[in-house]
Amino acid sequence: MRFRPGAITASALTISFGFLIILGLLLPENLEDPSEIQEISSGFAGVMLQLVTITIGLTIILGIFNLLAVHLGRIIRRGDVHRQTHQASRVYSLVLLLSFGLVIATYLLDRDTNTILLEDVQFSLESALAGLLLFALVFGAYQMMRHRVTLTGILFVLTVLVVLLGALSIDSVREIRDLRDWLMEIPVSAGARGLLLGIALATLVTGMRVLIGIDRSYRE
Amino acid sequence: VDDVTVRVFSIIILMVTLVLVALPTRRKYWLRKIQAFEVVPSLSGLSIESSRPVHISLGSAGIGGSSTLVALVGAEFAYHMSERVAIGDMPPVITLSDPSAIPLGQDALRRAYYAHRRGQMFRPTSVHWYPSGTRSLAYAAAVTSLMGTDHMSANVLTGSYGPELALLLDTAKRHNIPSIAVSDQLEGQAVAYALADHRLIGEEAFVASSYLSDEPGAARKVLAIDVLRLLLIVALLVGFGMKLIEKG
Repeated sequence: MRFRPGAITASALTISFGFLIILGLLLPENLEDPSEIQEISSGFAGVMLQLVTITIGLTIILGIFNLLAVHLGRIIRRGDVHRQTHQASRVYSLVLLLSFGLVIATYLLDRDTNTILLEDVQFSLESALAGLLLFALVFGAYQMMRHRVTLTGILFVLTVLVVLLGALSIDSVREIRDLRDWLMEIPVSAGARGLLLGIALATLVTGMRVLIGIDRSYRE
Repeated sequence: VDDVTVRVFSIIILMVTLVLVALPTRRKYWLRKIQAFEVVPSLSGLSIESSRPVHISLGSAGIGGSSTLVALVGAEFAYHMSERVAIGDMPPVITLSDPSAIPLGQDALRRAYYAHRRGQMFRPTSVHWYPSGTRSLAYAAAVTSLMGTDHMSANVLTGSYGPELALLLDTAKRHNIPSIAVSDQLEGQAVAYALADHRLIGEEAFVASSYLSDEPGAARKVLAIDVLRLLLIVALLVGFGMKLIEKG
């Protein structure tokens, strides 16, 4: 077995910091006579969590450098076999870099234009995309039935139809609306809770494995 | 339920999990087949043979928030997928919308190339950050165009997504790109179920390393989750029974 000081240090740091923070979070805070360990661990947990928040805030700078490096690289890079799409990719990257420069310039020189760019361009485009989501979902349901007709597929499409029809504010679909309410309250709620409980259990196990150094992601 | 009870239960649950995770076992466990993991070798083979990159996405999962562990397991999946395609000449593309996940994605790629002693092939710019905007729609728009221009061979979307996942999977369908998808958000999970070619459900995303790694004892994670699930079911049934007795 190879001795790797870096890996051992990383594991030791992760395990000790992890357990100290858990201790700080689990020990009660409002005791009348808190012991020294309680004070130290809860204080340490608070400071560490603040440090994490600050570090994560700084990663936005890393993101901006990544964005610029990736798109500059795409503009400079020589074309591959897909010449036409490579040209399109270059244009997109160029537009992105120009927009980036424009937003920075307007922020420094003219804040009103910057607000217009954000509210009238960015938000409108995102709203339009949100509108397209419905079509993508309906197309998905259609695709699901086209490829293979299964019991779950039929159930899925029927549920979609009931929920969509139940959303209409017409008196003639009252029964469908009742059915939709029942679906949302009982089966959907039960399924959602089941899924979330499964994810919570897996999160717990994964967290514990990272904490005690079984998962190797930070050790190599 | 008062604060002390919550803390006591938290400590008990943590202890049980610790025992389950750390318990040494020599038995070999057979894992049930999950189609999304079964297709990983063929998708990586397709990428190598066609010299087209695999697209791996972590969505809006990042370090520091509630999706920290989703980001970690997404990066683990990214590592296993990258490790398979690292022998080819086309590096995978990892996209994400949380900047705190950039080092995770880059590290997964770096480890994959170094595992094959091809460290010189590792490019940090194979990880693309696209700002998310409201509801991650800006990210979805950027990735949909990327799928078209970069001729992706497959999509592995394991992370945190809302309904915007529909845009990604719809574009993948139109470009005939096979997709594996899962999300820790309910809306994203529903979309993945309907639109993805191969979907993982809920906690299945967390056991990727158990299915894709050759390490001895990798299946222990699945075992721990299953035992915890069983204990939870028993606890729920006991609670239900006690309520019934109380009312009766």
